[in-house]
Amino acid sequence: MTVPSHERTQWLARWILPHEGELRTWLSRRPLVGLDVDDVVQESYAILVGLGCVGHIRNPRTYLFEVAKSVVLMALRRSQIVSFSTLTDVESLEVPCDAPGPDAIAAGRQELERIATFIATLPPKCREVFTLRKVHELSQREVAHRMGISESTVEKHMGKAVRLLASAIAYGGNSRIAASKACEDERATPEASGIRLGN
Amino acid sequence: MKTNAPHLKHPESASEIESAAASWAARVDRGKLSFDEQAALEKWLGADTRRLGAYARALAVNAHFDRAAALGPGFSPEDFEEVRPPSPALHRRHFLFAGGAAVAASIAAAVGVGMFSTGTAVVTAKGDTRRIALTEGSAITLNTDSHIEPRLEERLRQVDLVRGEALFDVSRDPNRPFVVHAGDVRVRVLGTSFSMRRFDDGSVEVAVLEGHVEVDAGSGLHPYRLRRGERLRVFPGGDVRTEHVSHAALERSVGWRRGIIDLHGMTLAQAAAEYARYSDRRIVIADQAVGAMKVTGVYSTSDPLGFARAAALSLGIQATPTAEGMRLDSR
Repeated sequence: MTVPSHERTQWLARWILPHEGELRTWLSRRPLVGLDVDDVVQESYAILVGLGCVGHIRNPRTYLFEVAKSVVLMALRRSQIVSFSTLTDVESLEVPCDAPGPDAIAAGRQELERIATFIATLPPKCREVFTLRKVHELSQREVAHRMGISESTVEKHMGKAVRLLASAIAYGGNSRIAASKACEDERATPEASGIRLGN
Repeated sequence: MKTNAPHLKHPESASEIESAAASWAARVDRGKLSFDEQAALEKWLGADTRRLGAYARALAVNAHFDRAAALGPGFSPEDFEEVRPPSPALHRRHFLFAGGAAVAASIAAAVGVGMFSTGTAVVTAKGDTRRIALTEGSAITLNTDSHIEPRLEERLRQVDLVRGEALFDVSRDPNRPFVVHAGDVRVRVLGTSFSMRRFDDGSVEVAVLEGHVEVDAGSGLHPYRLRRGERLRVFPGGDVRTEHVSHAALERSVGWRRGIIDLHGMTLAQAAAEYARYSDRRIVIADQAVGAMKVTGVYSTSDPLGFARAAALSLGIQATPTAEGMRLDSR
């Protein structure tokens, strides 16, 4: 059993997480045969945790996409019900090219703004706990003391914050613009999805 | 790599796993685990590779927000409330049911929004699209590699299309006309939706999706009145061509708002040129006969190489990856 090390966690946070939104959009256009996008993402993280070392990975984004693709292919091969055409379709998949995504462009301040915006979406108590813990860098015990609540309540709020932020990142994360470009589904109309913000 | 077929052996859903993983991450964030807790965590993790993945992801999310310390003690989350990303409280399945395009569109909407009044140049990089709201209620969506300069005055709303392509959704205001300039070509509207593009050869195209507009082609002659479903192109010498276009075709022609590109009726060479607007990854076609082949279909603007590969498959030609992108040759 490999438990993720501190270094690997930092590496995932720095190099993988920012590409997750884009990966999800890409996956949502593929035949996944019995798998959810969520499943593929979780399996992919598991593989990245299990790697002996990551120092040789020059391009983490491409690597992430390749890992996800291997997860999809394995599920397809295992399922044995898949038609030949689906399999060749996936195998001929081109991992999307390395456009300088917004994550690469959005350095420094913009990224901080995004972090601030995400924190702002949390429910009030949860947000207060998370702000004290992350912005003011208090320990969970100190947060409990400051707010006059129990440590286990603080822990619960932290768990909720991590869960909400994880799904915020998945669907509106650092690759928002890339995600908007990578879509070929014609059925949804822009009106239905609220793109007409000006009105 | 060891992965299970999770949906068959483990009925636990991905989101249940995610909740449990977040709780574990919060527990670890609190402090060192006791011996028993450590054992319980390892037991939980060992039962399904997805749990390990979800746990690693939860830790990464938590670590990602360590950077929030840089916001400083003066940080007040309330200040950041208006520009919300899609609410995380909405369950993700809702997004998936809504369809990929809806997700992407709502995400795009959440991002490229700013209120612009006057004197601000708005520019997009190659591959980006951006929607801006003007303070008077109109909205402009910029396509890839484009540049506009809005100037809102009391009696007149003006926008310079300096480069590229944009879609204008103009709010109706008879007392305050909306005028778009593209070099000598001027389009005057009351309330409508139309797109406008400047081509590299100097020509300008205007297409009306709703309402009507008046186009002054810069020739000193009468302006052209264009209605819904009409498209006009002004060539550098002053020649003007107008045509009727079906509403569906018009909608497709502004598919770039949603990251899609309609290549219907184009040759492969034209499609390659179209993709060059969106990406520096080039599709190179040396062979004229190959370049003249017809393509059709709707593709993602962000995936030129995927398009090249698909075209090669369907046309029976050879696609070879190169340092710059993809080369297409006959077999």
